[in-house]
Amino acid sequence: MTTFSLLSLLLTLAVTLWSSSVLASSDYHEQLFLQPLPQSSLLASFNFRGNTSQQSFDNQHFRYFPRALGQILQHAHTKELHLRFSTGRWDAESWGPRPWNGSKEGGTGVELWAWIDAADDEEAFARWTTLTQSLSGLFCASLNFVDSTRTTRPVVSFEPTGGHSSTDGLHLLHGILPGEVVCTENLTPFLKLLPCKGKTGISSLFDGHKLFDAAWQSMSVDMRPICPPGGECLVQIEQTVDMVLDIERSKRPRANPIPRPVPNEQLVCDTSKPYNSEDTCYPLEKVTETGWSLMEVFGRSLQGVCPLAGSDGEQSVCLRVPHERSVFTSENALEIKKDDGYTRCFKLDPSSPFDLAVHEQQMNTRVPLEDPILHAERTIVGHGQERGGMRIIFGNPSETAAVDFIYFESLPWFLRPYIHTLQATITGRDGVRREIPASDLVTETFFRPAIDRERGTQLELALSVPAASTVTLTYDFEKAILRYTEYPPDANRGFNVAPAVIRILNTPDSSPVYIRSTSLLLPLPTPDFSMPYNVIILTSTVIALGFGTVFNLLVRRIVSLDEAAALGAQNIKGRILSKLVMIRDMLRPKATKVE
Amino acid sequence: MAVDRRKVAVFSAAFILRLVLVCLFPSLPDLLTGRVEVSTPVNSFKRLQEGLFLYTRNVSPYDGGVFHQAPLLLPLFALLPDVKGNPVPTAVFYFLVDLVNAHALATISESGQSVQSRLHSTIRKHIRWDGASVAAWFLFNPFTIATCLARSTSVFTTTGILFAVSNAVSGNSVNAMLALGLASYLSLYPALLFIPLVLLCYDQRAQKLPNTVSFIMQNASILLSSIAGLLGLSYLITGNFWEFMSATYGFHLLVPDLTPNVGLWWYFFIEMFDSFREFFLGVFWLHLASYVGGLTIRLRRQPLFVITSLLGVFAIFKPYPSISDASLYFAFLPLYRHTFPFMRYTFFAISAILYASLLGPAFYHLWIYAGSGNANFFYAITLVWSLGLSILLADSIFAVLRDEWEQDHPEARGSEVKQV
Repeated sequence: MTTFSLLSLLLTLAVTLWSSSVLASSDYHEQLFLQPLPQSSLLASFNFRGNTSQQSFDNQHFRYFPRALGQILQHAHTKELHLRFSTGRWDAESWGPRPWNGSKEGGTGVELWAWIDAADDEEAFARWTTLTQSLSGLFCASLNFVDSTRTTRPVVSFEPTGGHSSTDGLHLLHGILPGEVVCTENLTPFLKLLPCKGKTGISSLFDGHKLFDAAWQSMSVDMRPICPPGGECLVQIEQTVDMVLDIERSKRPRANPIPRPVPNEQLVCDTSKPYNSEDTCYPLEKVTETGWSLMEVFGRSLQGVCPLAGSDGEQSVCLRVPHERSVFTSENALEIKKDDGYTRCFKLDPSSPFDLAVHEQQMNTRVPLEDPILHAERTIVGHGQERGGMRIIFGNPSETAAVDFIYFESLPWFLRPYIHTLQATITGRDGVRREIPASDLVTETFFRPAIDRERGTQLELALSVPAASTVTLTYDFEKAILRYTEYPPDANRGFNVAPAVIRILNTPDSSPVYIRSTSLLLPLPTPDFSMPYNVIILTSTVIALGFGTVFNLLVRRIVSLDEAAALGAQNIKGRILSKLVMIRDMLRPKATKVE
Repeated sequence: MAVDRRKVAVFSAAFILRLVLVCLFPSLPDLLTGRVEVSTPVNSFKRLQEGLFLYTRNVSPYDGGVFHQAPLLLPLFALLPDVKGNPVPTAVFYFLVDLVNAHALATISESGQSVQSRLHSTIRKHIRWDGASVAAWFLFNPFTIATCLARSTSVFTTTGILFAVSNAVSGNSVNAMLALGLASYLSLYPALLFIPLVLLCYDQRAQKLPNTVSFIMQNASILLSSIAGLLGLSYLITGNFWEFMSATYGFHLLVPDLTPNVGLWWYFFIEMFDSFREFFLGVFWLHLASYVGGLTIRLRRQPLFVITSLLGVFAIFKPYPSISDASLYFAFLPLYRHTFPFMRYTFFAISAILYASLLGPAFYHLWIYAGSGNANFFYAITLVWSLGLSILLADSIFAVLRDEWEQDHPEARGSEVKQV
């Protein structure tokens, strides 16, 4: 247990515990997990999970499974579905590993992948199109723009998480829309899928103003079949919302959200500075942990318990702060402290609202944050709109263990990578850069090049980064120039490139760990949009000039200047006669040939 | 065999010049490979490298949008050592191809076909450059050197065309057709040279004139079978016939990649309205092909000049032109040194071409890198370039027609003429 995160383990453990207890029946559970993070941030992780037996799902008898989604999935023959809406960036250096080990997270924008039952690739793609079109309507997202250029078929990056009876006819399709702006219109349909629809239970905390104001947020919908050995198969839907709120920012009243400077008398100054005086202050860092309450950061309180959720003993709200920290809750809520010294859960009163307040307090112990298994970042290098390079940096913080992972990247067709330029450099702790052949690190490559206007590039690399070192991969690419109708209205802003997905293979308990890079902005060369007519006219003129002069020379006769003068000096009668002569001249050689 | 000392000097000087350039400026080949004026999607060496990379790893290079060159180039370049580790063998290979091209050009020049053929004999035979000078003009043309250093694959098309012509002027019609087959297989458009080339071969057999129709049919069948043979070999290499056909010839015909180049097509088809795209593709191709008939009929007596002019037409109006096409046209022009006195707009044409070649890179930089210009800057330069070349083309046609006229009217030699 070296680099593996306690936080993620806790979440996973909780889920495993539930799964073992609830597999047998169709039921519904929800849980909220709160953890203050460094830099006065608060991680709020909501989880909703419903089970339905496969039989009642097939008979369209829906109870905890949303009917709208269920029917779409049945129509599109989708056996397993993962849908993600994300904004913002997870700051792994301050906040540690991602919640759920990144498995409930998507790349910036909307990401969708599904296992579809179909006889062949064409049928799978047709059903995928049906699925994306329907989900687009259901979630008010532009998923209908996931066309063939944005669809990939990853080979090793994803594996089915459900228990499928046979994976023979299953096709994995993956689509991502990095430019999609996730907002309240996506939250509302998301809440409608929940049995309590955001009226009671933890989902009553959702407020679009707060959720989409977060530094990072990710909403996920996962549907998978679960087949316990010997038992009846279940269909499970799991929805999660994870967000990192800036506590100070969230606490600002909605009516007056503009931040104000702290009044002079409330400033804590470093009095040891020589220049410290009445009007000069070197502010000290706060030594206390920020205080907050649910009401303050979410703008509303928790409306009891969803009556459909779980059994009596369910502790639906958990908070991870050191036990010595004082936490105040509403009456009728039962606090249960766990043995790990940091986690406490609350059993809520079903009928009364619940609020939770943590006051500002000076703390000696902090909740430990583990290092992530792998640091990854990806940037575009180079300048100019003609070509560029991609640079991907992988850092392995571990001193002992190498990290094996799959790097998956789907690039739009107008970014043309030159995979033969793939190069690797490795930097150890000594800071010395060494260039090594990429094949030393890349054990396997799955590459499917793009075809213009048909499909994007798909690149999957199986990599291994040695302990205590940083690996940089680079490759060159060329930027295509598009037809002028293919540019969006804001052509000079650039085009979004989907985030890369990293799947770490050698995790301690073989549960999937995912990391996603940020999305990139790719500026393309642009034509002048204002002058299609001018271009058509000017090019046609040059062509006409060339054609005209050449054929003018070819069809005319050369005569000496005297003859030309004789021809030109004539009157109309003479000209007609000369034409006749010309015609005769033209005919004469023919006549001789005929003879 | 007598060794022509001047030719040896020219060839070795050209070789050494290229070697010195590569050794003094090791980054020059890669820089030139990246220039849009030199590398187009159908002849770029970088794209060839990518295709080669995929080919050597058993991935079909045609199942992608990057590689659009003929399949036989892949095994050829797979034999050469890796460019990244050892660039010299590839560079030397290209130098040698250039020298072979120059040799073929010298052969054409030495045959005297441009001044004296079956139907044509100019009265200015004395104004002429010998083979070594023509070869030197080709080898020391900066456009040729840039193409060679950039390792553009259009030099192989050039080889095919030059060998076709050099074999035709020596009366070897079978070899001429085989060479033309290779050029057409590599780049498609040289197939348009078939008719003038057949006429050139036909005129060479002046002593025992064969039956015209059967001669043409015979040559056409040689050409078609050579192309079919090359396509068959390519099928053996790639294993998927339609995939490589559509990725290479389909790409030439439909022009889906609008990367800037010195031609007229790219910006036109960027700005073209979608509903008219197919129509104008057809019009542009018809326009390109229309010159074959007109020039062949009017200049029937000089099929070699028809080929020269068609090469000029291709350099201006083909879908993915580069400076290598212009360099091939410029290589043929000195064969008609005796008509230069009749040219009227040489100053204007040469100024326009120089203006375009010097300002083109600058304006491209302003558009793509500096951001202080837009696409119209480079587009305007390509217009000037095309205009300069078409003036040169028209002027050379005029000069040759004038020369023919003098041959017909020896009494009017040197007098002013007019076209009516």
